[in-house]
Amino acid sequence: MAREKQRLWLTFGEALCQRPIIWELSRSFDLAFNIRSAQVTQTTGIVAIELEGEREVLKRAIQWLEKTGVAVEPVELSTIEG
Amino acid sequence: MQSEFFTNLRCRECGRLYPKEAVHVCEWDFGPLEAVYDYEAIRQQISRDRIESRPPTMWRYREFLPLDGEPTVGTQVGFTPLVRADRLAKALGVREAYVKNDTVNYPTLSFKDRVVAVSLSRAKEMGFTVVACASTGNLANSVAANAASVGLESYVLIPSDLEASKVLGSLVYGSRVIGIRGPYDKVNRLCSEIAGKYQWAFVNVNLRPYYAEGSKTMGFEIAEQLGWRLPSHTVIPMASGSLLTKIAKSYQELIVTNLVEKTPFAIHGAQATGCNPISEAFRKGTDLVQPVPKPQTIAKSLAIGTPADGYYAIQTMRKSGGAAEDASDAEILAGIQLLAETAGIFAETAGGVTVACARKLIASGKIPEDASVVLCITGHGLKTAEALSGVLASPRVIDPSLREFDRLVSSDLGQASLPETVAP
Repeated sequence: MAREKQRLWLTFGEALCQRPIIWELSRSFDLAFNIRSAQVTQTTGIVAIELEGEREVLKRAIQWLEKTGVAVEPVELSTIEG
Repeated sequence: MQSEFFTNLRCRECGRLYPKEAVHVCEWDFGPLEAVYDYEAIRQQISRDRIESRPPTMWRYREFLPLDGEPTVGTQVGFTPLVRADRLAKALGVREAYVKNDTVNYPTLSFKDRVVAVSLSRAKEMGFTVVACASTGNLANSVAANAASVGLESYVLIPSDLEASKVLGSLVYGSRVIGIRGPYDKVNRLCSEIAGKYQWAFVNVNLRPYYAEGSKTMGFEIAEQLGWRLPSHTVIPMASGSLLTKIAKSYQELIVTNLVEKTPFAIHGAQATGCNPISEAFRKGTDLVQPVPKPQTIAKSLAIGTPADGYYAIQTMRKSGGAAEDASDAEILAGIQLLAETAGIFAETAGGVTVACARKLIASGKIPEDASVVLCITGHGLKTAEALSGVLASPRVIDPSLREFDRLVSSDLGQASLPETVAP
């Protein structure tokens, strides 16, 4: 199957700041990840990440992130405007 | 005219330069790209007289816009009135108030015509034949209309549950309107993928660096219409935060090119309380903008829960000595009515946000009562007329009887006397 790349912003709150989310992601899904920038404080985490893998795996990984409580947005953030 | 004022795109985070192509984020850190100009060349080319001699459109500031040649789309857009609003000023409790009235912007009655004029002109320069956007209202209308005016094919992507009245304003221009089922965040991600896959000019995605620059013309016009000076306070509605940062950029560019004197200008941001990620972060004193997953406000044109320029808007407000506010739905409706009743301008809900937040900023002293303030009103009230349903009184109905009319008027006027004779 064809591999593809997605560029995403991950945002999470205080409850997840101490949890190794990216490590868990890489252990659970066959994806290559590349962190491009990150800002994590005690209350908020914002990570720019590139994920590469098969489309179905990417889809499941994003579902897992969202279920875990991470907001997942495309790198453009809001493409839908008023 | 020399056309090489626009030189490059540059990452706002790391400063890397990029060629003037349809790219919008830095390949290194995903920072947004922004247009860069040769201000020395502009300074030598431009003067107040030269600008004033040009037609009254946004293109009189052509040197500050990211095109290589002359504009080909939206050539009549902009130069909307700056209205001195004394009765509004009195109601707000401030010495002087002006309304930058983009409710009458041509052709689709919102400031979006400015950004679309630039992005579609650039799209044509780059050879695109299909243009696209994802929008719930004003942007969709503007892309559809401006594309139709020059024969560009357009795709407008919308959430499938959008009200029929909002879809009409795009369908009428012959645009291909596609409704996408599902929650907002999934629709948003799909739009990003479509923009990446299809070689279209997606105005606010791959053409965003060009698109966003169109907002500067609102700031240029304000300064020129004030007699080539910068307003000491400007209140601007925030959705992505882009308009606010670009108006600040326009003021800076006027200073750098010696078109205005360098004077302090405070930039204030206005949001709806039901979707206030930027004003909330400002209030907390942090740069980290927390997304609002489910916006709940009548100001739908401002309901962006993950604002792309939120961080930069906060920096701009902070550095300029401005502040952020937000307004509840009730305050927004009161703001719409106040603007209409005191200035004769009917604004959409975003305009109500601006007026309501200006009132709060003045009441809290963040805008001093002896100051002069400009309110940026970005769209026409007829676009969101349903927000006022049940808010305004109904017309009073009478029989076709002059006596009955007299009775009604005398109750309105109290003791004031009625005319004794009736003109023939």
